[in-house]
Amino acid sequence: MEKAMTQVGDSTTPKALAGIRVVDFTWVRAGPWATRWLGALGAEVIKVEWPLREFGRAGGPANTPPGIQPSLNTSGHFNDTNANKLSLSLNVRSPRGIEIIKKLISESDVVVENYSADVLESWGLGYEELKKLSPNIVYVSMSGFGHTGRDKHYTTFGPSAQALSGMTFASGLPNQPPAGWGWSYLDDTGGMYIAFYTMAAIFHRKMTGQGQHVDMGQMVMGATLNGPALLDMTINGRKSQREGYPSGNRAHWPGTPQLSNYRGQTVAPHNSYRTKGGDYNDWCTIACFSDQEWLNLVGLMGSPAWASNGKFATVQGRLQHQEELDQGIETWSLTLEKYELMKRCQASGVRAMPVQSNEDRAEHDPQLRERGMYQEVEHPVLGSWRVQNAPFKLSETPAVNHRHGPLIGQDNREILMGLLGMSQEELSSGYEDGTFWPKEMERYPYQEELIR
Amino acid sequence: MTTQNTESGPFSGVRVLELADEKGQWCGKLLGDLGADVIKIEPPDGEDTRTVGPFYKDVDDPERSLSFWHYNTSKRGVTLNLEADDGRALFRRLIATADVVLETFRPGYIASLGLGYDDLKKLNPSVIVCSLTPFGQTGPWRDFETSDLLHLAAGGQMGSCGYDDIPDAPPIAPGGGQAWHMGSHYACMAITAALIHRANSGLGQYIDVSVHESCALTTEGAMSAWIYTGKTMIRQTGRHAGVAPTPPTQTLCKDGKYVNIQLIAMRLPPRQLRSLAEWMDKYDMADDLMDEKYQDTAVIQQQADHISLTVRKFINNMTRDEVYRGAQELGFSWGAVRTHDELLDDGQLNDRGFWVRVDNPELGETFTYPGTSAIWSESPWQIARRAPLLGEHNQEIFCDELDLSQAELTALSENGVL
Repeated sequence: MEKAMTQVGDSTTPKALAGIRVVDFTWVRAGPWATRWLGALGAEVIKVEWPLREFGRAGGPANTPPGIQPSLNTSGHFNDTNANKLSLSLNVRSPRGIEIIKKLISESDVVVENYSADVLESWGLGYEELKKLSPNIVYVSMSGFGHTGRDKHYTTFGPSAQALSGMTFASGLPNQPPAGWGWSYLDDTGGMYIAFYTMAAIFHRKMTGQGQHVDMGQMVMGATLNGPALLDMTINGRKSQREGYPSGNRAHWPGTPQLSNYRGQTVAPHNSYRTKGGDYNDWCTIACFSDQEWLNLVGLMGSPAWASNGKFATVQGRLQHQEELDQGIETWSLTLEKYELMKRCQASGVRAMPVQSNEDRAEHDPQLRERGMYQEVEHPVLGSWRVQNAPFKLSETPAVNHRHGPLIGQDNREILMGLLGMSQEELSSGYEDGTFWPKEMERYPYQEELIR
Repeated sequence: MTTQNTESGPFSGVRVLELADEKGQWCGKLLGDLGADVIKIEPPDGEDTRTVGPFYKDVDDPERSLSFWHYNTSKRGVTLNLEADDGRALFRRLIATADVVLETFRPGYIASLGLGYDDLKKLNPSVIVCSLTPFGQTGPWRDFETSDLLHLAAGGQMGSCGYDDIPDAPPIAPGGGQAWHMGSHYACMAITAALIHRANSGLGQYIDVSVHESCALTTEGAMSAWIYTGKTMIRQTGRHAGVAPTPPTQTLCKDGKYVNIQLIAMRLPPRQLRSLAEWMDKYDMADDLMDEKYQDTAVIQQQADHISLTVRKFINNMTRDEVYRGAQELGFSWGAVRTHDELLDDGQLNDRGFWVRVDNPELGETFTYPGTSAIWSESPWQIARRAPLLGEHNQEIFCDELDLSQAELTALSENGVL
């Protein structure tokens, strides 16, 4: 298909997804987090939005910087989550809007959405219709429960998907309610899967010429992340609700049957320990996976009498006497600041890493700094802010954050006139009849520029 | 790459050589279950991941690790001692057949064997090599040793997870080996992008993936909270960490189970509050929530605490599934907090064909495995085979494909090369 493409990033670096156009109906977090990476890898991502049904720009943790009057264009969280995209403001639920979106889809390779299961169908944009518009379209959807099955009309957000999939249950201290997950892990992870599956389907299309529908369910995806626990249940018949499980940060809770906790080897020490300072995040994790690593730790602690006791010489002994072991280690860990503790342990062949807050990662983590994890991107309203980079470095086709999260409707002119060949009059009339912006809503100054 | 069979997964025809421990085996499984020909290369005495429990019938044995069984489906397995000259020679011959190499050795190790990316691309110019390591190939922490727990500490997961209603509770690392999942997910993304570039250009490339960065990137709003507002996070039981405390959402039901509710009471639209109140009223538990005054968003905001308490009191008197199903039918995205066992009987998972049967001929049994998150209309996901036995495909790969004689194979085994 010959297509006019808008300019994505600098033109010198090759892009893995060059020439791929994505119509992006995603909202909130999971879907937008996915298409952000498709954009970083070179796809032209057109985010289709409507200001009256907008949850990413204004709702939730918007994180507008202090001192800036909040608007649809000031959410820091949106800026990070929606980097590398174009924005088209369009009322898809209007007859004129749906005609325009169909024309856009017919010029596109991929449609991505994370609405409830029946939304695209209700717009007349189900997979069968999408195929008519663009015969080899790659259509990737992620709803809470998937597009098939008895509960397909149910919906999720991160915490409910985590609860339903068994992930919440697997996080916490024994004999306590679950601690669960302190964020929407399955939104972040859902985003990774949407991006991965979209690219896998693009690859399949390159090799076979065939598009397809990839139908994901967020709760179902969560269930796949409990693998060994599920096999312990289906094969060994083991009940997951049992004494000592989940075992907090330990590999095993002392005084309970010694069973796998599905985090790896059953060893001690394996825990979080308070460190000097005593503040909220002054904790360091330490784990010894062999007797040698334990001996290294004993030496590092200055070979205190308690640690030289024979009962700690073997992993079984350490597991059995874990309370005393952990108390002894914490007495020592409290004398050192968490990064100093990490450095001394690592230098002595002991595995240790500090608990890092968001502030720690952004300001105190020399590894993330050296690797360029947070780099500034200019935003037209907010100014220059650090945006999160990819955790992978591709030598030939790097992922690049080449653009801020778009202002709402910022690219209407480029898309509607440049790409779809609309005239100036048609563009202006679409703003007057409420197709490109709600009639009752005041426009931003940059939108006036677009229309003129 | 061979011609694709459209009845198999999207990576059909792609060969992956996997030299991976716990960090990368999930990446290999995801690619393999989606059709890639993944050849797992283990040291002659087996990958350490075979020693991770739980074990089949709780008998500790390298062929009975359920963790290994789960993470290595759809792969073939060979043994190869890369520290022996003959082992490296065989690996170099295998490279000519490979599209992707996935390796999780400590930085610099594979290059020290003469098998780094620069060496391998001379043998196969279009090969994609992905190194998945704790901290990547560069930086001050690159040689540090880690574990799942340690990554969840440094990556920020523990900073956001824990209890606000248990005094002195530690930050909590959620279970299930999620640090390795996060690293593997980003490795899958990067490898697939490289495969697309290769299909376009014929060129391979080198990929450096960091587990630490993958984890640090997977904390949703925590980073933007710090970057844009300079605020750190407060850990809260069963719900999002916040920059300020928020009302509880994990609520105890009368059967002793929990439900996770999304009741952002301050922002509950009047129409939704009404439908909730009507449901509660059927049980005479609506208190005053049926009152017309609640059809005003300002009143809802003022009365947020009262609304939240009233709803939670109602939930305390219902069973978990009454709450979960009842709320979902009204359009609320609430979720039952379920144990792993409960997933087996879930109608929705069964309707989606989630559970799959996998044959284990040696044990003469067929076992139930968890399936996939997605249904692919044209390139189906499947578990092609159970995890490989140690060296199971040595004959198939080294003799049938690389033309070693039976005598050579035996000699290599005896010399500790295979």
